[in-house]
Amino acid sequence: MSSHKTIAVPTSDEMAGMTQEELARLGARLDGVELVEYGPRFEPGSPAEKRAERQVAKWFFLAALFALAFVVIFIVWPAGYEDPFSSRQWIYALFTPLLGITLGAAILCLGLGVMSIARRIAPHEVAVQQRHVGGSAEHDQKTVGAELMDTLDKTGLKTRRGMLKTSLLLAGGGIATAAVVGPIGGLIKNPWAKGDESDLWVTPWRPAADGTKVRMTFQDGSFVRPEDLAVGSMATVFPGVPGGATASDAAVMLFRLRPNEPIMIRNGQDGFEYGNYYAYSKICTHVGCPVSLYEDQTGRVLCPCHQSQFDVHNGAKPVFGPATRPLPQLPIDVDDEGYFFATSDFIEPVGPGFWESTQGSKPWGSHPKGENS
Amino acid sequence: MTHISGGRFRRGSKALRRASALVALALALGVLGLGYSALVPAGNTAAADSVDADTIAHGKDLYDRSCISCHGANLQGVDGKGPSLIGAGQANTYFQLATGRMPAKANTAEMPRSIPFFSDEKDIDAIAAYVQSIGGGAQLPGSFDISNADVAKGAELYRLNCASCHNFTGKGGALSQGKFAPPLDQATNAEMYAAMLAGPENMPTFSEAQLTPSEKLDIIKYVRASTDSVSPGGYDLGGFGPAPEGLIAFLVGMGVIVSITLWSGSRS
Repeated sequence: MSSHKTIAVPTSDEMAGMTQEELARLGARLDGVELVEYGPRFEPGSPAEKRAERQVAKWFFLAALFALAFVVIFIVWPAGYEDPFSSRQWIYALFTPLLGITLGAAILCLGLGVMSIARRIAPHEVAVQQRHVGGSAEHDQKTVGAELMDTLDKTGLKTRRGMLKTSLLLAGGGIATAAVVGPIGGLIKNPWAKGDESDLWVTPWRPAADGTKVRMTFQDGSFVRPEDLAVGSMATVFPGVPGGATASDAAVMLFRLRPNEPIMIRNGQDGFEYGNYYAYSKICTHVGCPVSLYEDQTGRVLCPCHQSQFDVHNGAKPVFGPATRPLPQLPIDVDDEGYFFATSDFIEPVGPGFWESTQGSKPWGSHPKGENS
Repeated sequence: MTHISGGRFRRGSKALRRASALVALALALGVLGLGYSALVPAGNTAAADSVDADTIAHGKDLYDRSCISCHGANLQGVDGKGPSLIGAGQANTYFQLATGRMPAKANTAEMPRSIPFFSDEKDIDAIAAYVQSIGGGAQLPGSFDISNADVAKGAELYRLNCASCHNFTGKGGALSQGKFAPPLDQATNAEMYAAMLAGPENMPTFSEAQLTPSEKLDIIKYVRASTDSVSPGGYDLGGFGPAPEGLIAFLVGMGVIVSITLWSGSRS
């Protein structure tokens, strides 16, 4: 199979008498490599050798120079942050690129130098290596297989040692369970533990137990009045309860539509609006991204994640993209002090669907505003 | 806008109280208005107070030559060509003219920014004053000094109100059916203020109550800071964040390394 059987390995005494070059050639031969041509590239001390040496050294000098530049820039460059309104911003902005360029160039030059040694200075050689043929020899295959199986048999794992096998199985099973508990463990928690009050059914807009309705707030906590919104505007509003602005299911888009716009009302949601003000959940019914790209003339809100589009002029019906259910509408009114509040919670769950969701269970239907459904 | 029509009168006595309060308020306002008009000599609309008649006449002259074919002689709009400009106001007119979107070159889904047709700021102001004097609407304040604005607060407001369409670094983005939210790097402070105030084309409006003037300046300062920043990594690859940067580093970097390896291998 391999060529090393045909070459006699020399004894210690024979090797002691060999020159370094002879040993190198012997090593190559033992690996199945024949050095057809091998020897120094230049006459020692010749002008050609000196020129080659200079060409290699040039790269190493450059590498040292760039490395030095890196160190100097790192230590002395005025790298403190300058904002875009400062005339010195470009000095700050140059710091990182300069570090990258100098260190990169130093390493590149070092690499080019090493390559240059191999190409210009290292001994000239032409080597021929015999190609190996086929797989391992039959006796190698047989003996290795026997060695493995014999070890297994003598350990007794196949026939005896029940405790060892049981504990091994337990270890494997335990680690496998640990690996899958992350994705599967969440199924243990019962989302319906609170019955009708379960988190998937209610949002922070639900009136308190004593009947107190929830007011609408802007992100800074100030209450929303009708006059805060100009015609053709949209504001993201939150329930005015503790944690309302950060609750994942509470964000609502409040629209003030143009008075001359023909508006369709979704069946069963008459009176949910206040004048030309309409409030819809901001959570996309597809996978729950914030729907917020509002086109004020076409009346569409777009979801930036998968390009679902909802028609605010027609009950927030999905008109494009993967979402199939309309955005739930929040019933709103204005109280005696002139602030918006939710007259009740959403009448269907917000956000993406789940098995038990009643969202969109009614067939779609809408009618012009002011007419009976 | 103090009262909203179309409120629902469902709660008997409360609705009655509210209605009587409305009537009383209307009476009081009426008396006040009559008294005011009796004392003050007849004037133009409030919007035209600060603008002299010559400017408005000049604006009308320019309007009649450049805008009338699509927007009509009385700003009422021409069906199938251009919308009514009643209520567009000085801010929207300024925005459309100063960014070169109007006069439109073609009726496309989105009017792109271009070199302003009216190169003289005075002409733009005159047309804006004329549109304001006829139809009314939102008006720009005089100055847009952002030196004292709060860039951090502006960033927060920008992310909540603007970033969904204009991208979090102001690079713009796609909307439906060929429309798009434009990049903000070329917009001046006044143009950005006008856009927020007036909501040109499909952009929603942000009244001075929804975003106060100082909050608008905060947002403008954030956009300035974001779009004027020199990218510390050199080329910013569109400012879209780590995903394209990593992809380019991997594809281009690996490509270069493999090419050099192949090249040097083929030479030796």
